[in-house]
Amino acid sequence: MSDELDEIQGIFFEECTEGLAVAEAGLSAMAAGDASSETIAGVFRAVHSIKGGSGAFGHAALLAFSHRFENVLDEVRGGRIPASGEVTQTLLGAFDILSDHVAAAQGGSEPPADAGMLEQLDAILENKGASVPTSTPVAPEPAPVQEADEFGFTPVAAVIEDFDPFGFEPVAVELDDLVSAEPAELAGWTVRFGPSRGALGNGGEPMLVIRELEEMGAAVTGVDMETLPGLRDLDPEDSYFVWTLRLPGTVAEQDIRDCFDFVSPDSLIEIAREELLVVLVDDPVVPEADDFGVFEPLPAPADLLTLVPVTAGVTGDIAPLEPAPAAAPVVVAPQPAAKAVADKPKAEARPASVEVAQTIRVDLSKLDQLLNLVGELVIRGSILSDRLSPADQERVELPELSRLTRQIQDNVMSLRAQPIKQAFSRVPRMLRDLSAETGKKVILETIGEMTEVDKGVIEKIGDPLTHMIRNAVDHGIESAEERIAAGKPEEGTIHLSAEQKGARIIVRVRDDGRGINRERVRAKAIERGIIAADAAISDEEIDGLICAPGFSTAETISNISGRGVGMDVVRSNVEALGGRLEINSVPGEGTTFTMALPLTLAILDGMIVRLGEQRFVLPLANVIETVQPERGQVKETSPTSEVIELRGQYLPVRRVGELFGMRSLRPAEESLVIIVESETAGNVGLMVDTIDNRREVVIKSLEDNLHPIRGLGGATILGDGSIALILDIDALVATGGSSKYALKGMAA
Amino acid sequence: MSTEETELDERKIVTFTLGSRLFGIDMRSLIEIREWEEPTPLPSVPPYVKGVTNLRGSVVPVVGLSERLGWAPSELHSRSCILVVTINGRHAGFLVDEVQDIVVIQGSEIQPAPDVEINEQGAIAGLVKIERRTHDTANAEAMCLLLDLDALSLTRQVPDFA
Repeated sequence: MSDELDEIQGIFFEECTEGLAVAEAGLSAMAAGDASSETIAGVFRAVHSIKGGSGAFGHAALLAFSHRFENVLDEVRGGRIPASGEVTQTLLGAFDILSDHVAAAQGGSEPPADAGMLEQLDAILENKGASVPTSTPVAPEPAPVQEADEFGFTPVAAVIEDFDPFGFEPVAVELDDLVSAEPAELAGWTVRFGPSRGALGNGGEPMLVIRELEEMGAAVTGVDMETLPGLRDLDPEDSYFVWTLRLPGTVAEQDIRDCFDFVSPDSLIEIAREELLVVLVDDPVVPEADDFGVFEPLPAPADLLTLVPVTAGVTGDIAPLEPAPAAAPVVVAPQPAAKAVADKPKAEARPASVEVAQTIRVDLSKLDQLLNLVGELVIRGSILSDRLSPADQERVELPELSRLTRQIQDNVMSLRAQPIKQAFSRVPRMLRDLSAETGKKVILETIGEMTEVDKGVIEKIGDPLTHMIRNAVDHGIESAEERIAAGKPEEGTIHLSAEQKGARIIVRVRDDGRGINRERVRAKAIERGIIAADAAISDEEIDGLICAPGFSTAETISNISGRGVGMDVVRSNVEALGGRLEINSVPGEGTTFTMALPLTLAILDGMIVRLGEQRFVLPLANVIETVQPERGQVKETSPTSEVIELRGQYLPVRRVGELFGMRSLRPAEESLVIIVESETAGNVGLMVDTIDNRREVVIKSLEDNLHPIRGLGGATILGDGSIALILDIDALVATGGSSKYALKGMAA
Repeated sequence: MSTEETELDERKIVTFTLGSRLFGIDMRSLIEIREWEEPTPLPSVPPYVKGVTNLRGSVVPVVGLSERLGWAPSELHSRSCILVVTINGRHAGFLVDEVQDIVVIQGSEIQPAPDVEINEQGAIAGLVKIERRTHDTANAEAMCLLLDLDALSLTRQVPDFA
């Protein structure tokens, strides 16, 4: 049972995360000047559902805060408090606290200090609310809750009479009036709620709904036990009761409906002003006319036909949503009633139907498993095509099979692809915190946040991104005075961008700060013993030093960065993903961190090459052409470097074996040179013994059981069970012959 | 093998030899024992990492245990084998000379290890006397060095900037 509860809690927190993302997006839009009612309503709904769930799971602190937050949002939504810049800033602050509350509730830790924020929120409610003359604050605080016992059982039989739907006789005129007067009508609500028969058995808890309604001022006025069977037939897991509750007319109908969000659809839910019942069911609403003009929900039109044979006037036409003149005059009363019913659900259902996107929640591990299997399928397909002659391939329709396999693969990959926005979404909050801590003003500009990346990549770039942003604010962007003195705008800017380039995703963090102070970096590196005092290294290499473990130039260790654990984590994380980190810095103008990440972590289109006994995989995306060098085409420029002459151009040539410290004694004429394209060193020739074939391979990471190795993008298992290493061309050619940045390996 | 563990009374260890010495590892860490097969060599790794091998679809490093402890490499022979173990959820294969036996020892029998000349501090968790299955009754008891696999973890890395 507790496991189940944990699971449901898990879902709640997932929804919280989603809700927070929606709220933040909305609030950010508001801060950017979009104060449309849809935006505000979106934020309100998000906070509202967090509140609802927190109440259900007994997270008191979260509930209390979200409730107050929601009150203010409700006023803003209703236009009673203008969504001014100041208010929006407070709301953003409140959002941050709300995130902390959610995190605290999830982690079981102490809730954050929210007293100050609550005061601010209350101040908004008091001041702004009063300044707008038309405002009639909608008693948002829970109205005095009437003391019913836990299940609201006290007033039984007598009340049932009162609320028996057959017990009243409205006439057409009255109904019409009610309908037309509805917007201004403040008559109380009557809500009837009968959980579906199986609700209790399925773990539904009517108490939660009733408690939520009570918070809005509802009082349980009656319990209908008509369906309660004799003790002999009683199933304790069945639900037999229908509760009747009364709510103040000031409560918005949508708020009442929201309470029933998590109730199974076949439950009886009726919400009505006064005695006019509005029927809310998932099935098309079919009003039934009876002699008294009272209607009840019916599950389906078919049932109506069989159940109400008496009402001759309506039977012919089961869609009586329009005033049907054909309907016999016998049934005068039902017409307006039907109209009322038809109008209301229509109007209310519209936003709801927009929200109900057709999505399902799938455990990520299931997708991983699927992707793995598809990967194996792709490999088996490649092996099959290797073993069959083209004619045989046609005969067994292998091309068709391959095409289908590829489609499945693309589809599975797209299942895992998510907009990189998910990773970017935490940045605004972080910047607000950083600004508060450092006193530096920073503007964030985001480009390309809809770029889709594999879910696994998104999960793993969060930390590097955090560190890069912190680094940019802490070390890059200057204080306001310094910026003004340097003739820059007072506010620093951080550009965050993502774009797809071939099989890679390029993520950039660019600041317009002071750039890397190379003198200081160099001095610090020497002091820390990272480089020798007389080391001759280039500017780029100095910039690279900030990613060295244990390196930090911050004069004081700040709360944010400066512990010297930041940038080396960034680099190792990025490299562990098979990506690369580049740093470009212009003194006085700013620093750009560029992460080049693989689009997917799973499958690679590769060329399998052989070197002695060993096979390697070259990512096909990098390969431009292959050359069988003639005698003299490969020339030595120094004892350790060679070039190949290709159509009048000299390109550097690297012997793959030597890059890996393996001696290859083959003369160049017996080798193949594969021209590859690299971001770091342009076009380079790689010398290998032979090419085996081209194949899609499933990437197995080395870090699972070992650690990433520079120059390798991972390993793969070939059809015969042997392992081939996947080359990371960019890292490999950037390293060159020297292994200055190569990992030595593990601690001795 | 921390103190809590040594307080447990009974446990199983797998014993194997490296040269003339007898070692033991906790049975619970062992995944499988496989025949020696030349692994795929890796660049830029210390010499004791022999390479990687395919363990049912995952890529697992193979380590020469003797070199890892700072001794001369094991010579390969027909009974050389790889002990595939799990260390903190990661898998690794250790090349050993010969797997001997599975024995049950009492936690209380483990004695603290005196300084053993190896290059990994703490790799020897303790010493225990075990009975060998042998026809040589004069030599039925042997000293077994218990290895602490955690100390041999491969995932720590030290980049070289010098």
